[in-house]
Amino acid sequence: MEMIQRIRDWLEVRIGLDELIRENLTEYRVPKHINLFHALGAVAVVGYVIQVITGICLLIYYIPHADHAFRSVQDIMTRVPYGWLFRQMHVVGSNLLITAVLIHMVTIFLMGNYKRPRELTWVSGGMMLIITLGFGLSGYLLPWTQLSYWATTVVTSIPTAFPVVGDFFTRLLRGGNYVTGVTLTRFFALHVSILPPLFVLFMALHITLIRRIGLSATPFGKSDEEKRPLTEYRKKTHPDGHPYYPYLLEKQAFMGMIYFMGMFAIITFAPTFFFPEEATVPADALKTPENIRPEWYLLAPYQMLKLIPNKLLGILIQIILVAVFIFWPFLDTHKEKNIFKRPVLRGVFIVLMISMVILMWWGSR
Amino acid sequence: MRRRTFLRYLLAVCGTVSFASFAYPLMRFLAPPGDANKEKKVTLAKKDIPAGTSRIVLFDEKPVIVINHPGKGYIALSKVCTHLGCLVEFDTARNLLICPCHAGTYDLEGNVLSGPPPRPLAKIPLRVEGEQLVIG
Amino acid sequence: MVMGLVLLAFPLTAFGDYREEFEKGFLTKTWSGQQPEENFCIECHSSDKMKPEFLTIAEEWKASWHAQNQIACHDCHGGDPKDPSMSMSPHRGFVGKPAPNEVPEFCGKCHIGILKNYLESDHGKAFRSSGKGPNCVTCHGSHGIQQANIEIISEQRCSKCHSYERARTMKQALFLTEKKIAELSQGLLNLRKEGVYIDDERMNLFSIQAEFRALFHSVDVNMVKDRTDEFSHKLSAVENRIRATERELRFRRNFSALILLFFVSMGSVLYLLIKTPKE
Repeated sequence: MEMIQRIRDWLEVRIGLDELIRENLTEYRVPKHINLFHALGAVAVVGYVIQVITGICLLIYYIPHADHAFRSVQDIMTRVPYGWLFRQMHVVGSNLLITAVLIHMVTIFLMGNYKRPRELTWVSGGMMLIITLGFGLSGYLLPWTQLSYWATTVVTSIPTAFPVVGDFFTRLLRGGNYVTGVTLTRFFALHVSILPPLFVLFMALHITLIRRIGLSATPFGKSDEEKRPLTEYRKKTHPDGHPYYPYLLEKQAFMGMIYFMGMFAIITFAPTFFFPEEATVPADALKTPENIRPEWYLLAPYQMLKLIPNKLLGILIQIILVAVFIFWPFLDTHKEKNIFKRPVLRGVFIVLMISMVILMWWGSR
Repeated sequence: MRRRTFLRYLLAVCGTVSFASFAYPLMRFLAPPGDANKEKKVTLAKKDIPAGTSRIVLFDEKPVIVINHPGKGYIALSKVCTHLGCLVEFDTARNLLICPCHAGTYDLEGNVLSGPPPRPLAKIPLRVEGEQLVIG
Repeated sequence: MVMGLVLLAFPLTAFGDYREEFEKGFLTKTWSGQQPEENFCIECHSSDKMKPEFLTIAEEWKASWHAQNQIACHDCHGGDPKDPSMSMSPHRGFVGKPAPNEVPEFCGKCHIGILKNYLESDHGKAFRSSGKGPNCVTCHGSHGIQQANIEIISEQRCSKCHSYERARTMKQALFLTEKKIAELSQGLLNLRKEGVYIDDERMNLFSIQAEFRALFHSVDVNMVKDRTDEFSHKLSAVENRIRATERELRFRRNFSALILLFFVSMGSVLYLLIKTPKE
């Protein structure tokens, strides 16, 4: 313990450690009613960090060339010591991360925490979701299996619905008319070097905004005591709240453990959950497997596109929905934050969730 | 207070053990692969394969045919047919490699000429070192 | 920038021919398996206008192992299945029905290894010299060919020319090896269900099986018995690799279960910490 104290003293002289600890941990106050759902943002950060670390591990042995990609992934699974562990963590983690992020988004929505002054926080979060889906799409192609190849073919043919620029976008994405090794290297560059810094940018913005504006006070169902609409900047503080350390930190750590438990429960008891048969055979451009469809998080939009007869209309509706999603705080400027006092919004939201689930289930048939 | 302290110690212990259970695999994962690859190479003397003939060797437990193609030099091809895995035979009369199972036919570079094979025969790296051929 | 994109897009739409394919395929059907190819041989041979004795051919073929592997009429008989006027034309290689003495070479166009063993065998020699003896069709049929298996050797089939005794001895000699191959095949499929990539090992097993079966066609029991050890050895190697993979899978399950346990314990400790207020 004396050793720890000596390190602390050394750092105190150089960076003012005590003040940092006070400002960010022990004196940083969070609302009294904060619950486990408030910890989901931290879970998303943990999930993303896991993806980066396991991704770097895979990067060491993966070969992004159509002739070698599948074989290199097989080598990681069978020849590299514990390669299977890091690959499984990466695959299961990607799906879990998207789930965690979606739940986080839903809770923020239900708590009304996108309203003034937090609109930009929501927008940056929405952009992070789009980028995460981009990670999912680009990463999916990399193992170069039948599933990868054909799911990518289906998803990259969606832009063809646009009249003039559609073909251009599809060719841009694919690096040609069809999915080939050129597509692989393109998606690899996207996955490894373009999307990560973009994501980090938005995440930095998101977290800076959260710290600058202050945590909102609204737990579920209780009205916010702030007078709305707010007309001047005021950082939201909670002088009679709990200190972040240990109060919220231990909740975040607990939710993080739940995340890991979910991940390892799947890896232990259902290791093939994300690997249907087509995911175990190398890509064959000449043979389309039956029942090819995109990953689950893209199933609802995919199914919607299939249902709308005019493909251009279908794509435009998708784009409008995405725009509504990202810019929602500017569309919903109602003062009331409590969702229980807004039956119309509640109803619309429930209908939306149910229809997404139905579309997802339908798309999986 | 004692309870909290106890729990924090417990957490520290569990945390360290969990960290170790990742650190060990990570160390093994990052460790450079062994030199087993070097031992696998097979060496043949050039004079063992006169022009127009071939020899069969075992490389990495799989049969490989080394052909001395007059005018084109030496080539080492896997004998495993890319269709269903039968071992191809060298037809010296027609200078072709033919699979006895379903008549998959390859030329002496391993390219598919006819039949069901979907891909050419795998080429095994071959180096000429003086009077020796090193395969692998 | 939009103008720039629009301008760029015009020349590029010249390459948009694949778009019709995807328009057709994208919204009107799921990306389901291969489309059945037009095959005029089958169309005529299943139509009402065909002579009754030719009508069964199409049905038999559809249920055959050849059909499952996309080997169709023209692969053996020649002709052009996509062009009804040329479907039976000698210009497209049509050879029609082989005469009985042409059958071995007819099937041997593809099954080269087996043809060689057959011609060197007592069956082949008898067939060549006197015309009496089994050819391929005798045991395997012509259109309704099923996957080769040990049950083809049966009393009914083999006692047509000689006593069943010889065939029974051969069947016994083959039996254990065939059983082992079937077992290992199933083992590989089980591994595939666990997510393991088995194609390399499966090809190896197929090669061993094909070599063993070609051996049978020599109908030389002593040769089969002499070489059974050799095959047994090869199959053991395959079996050892399968067992090793199964052990590895069990290890992985245990290892990740252990890690899960660590996280569960940390989660419980954290839960207790949350419930223990700091005062």
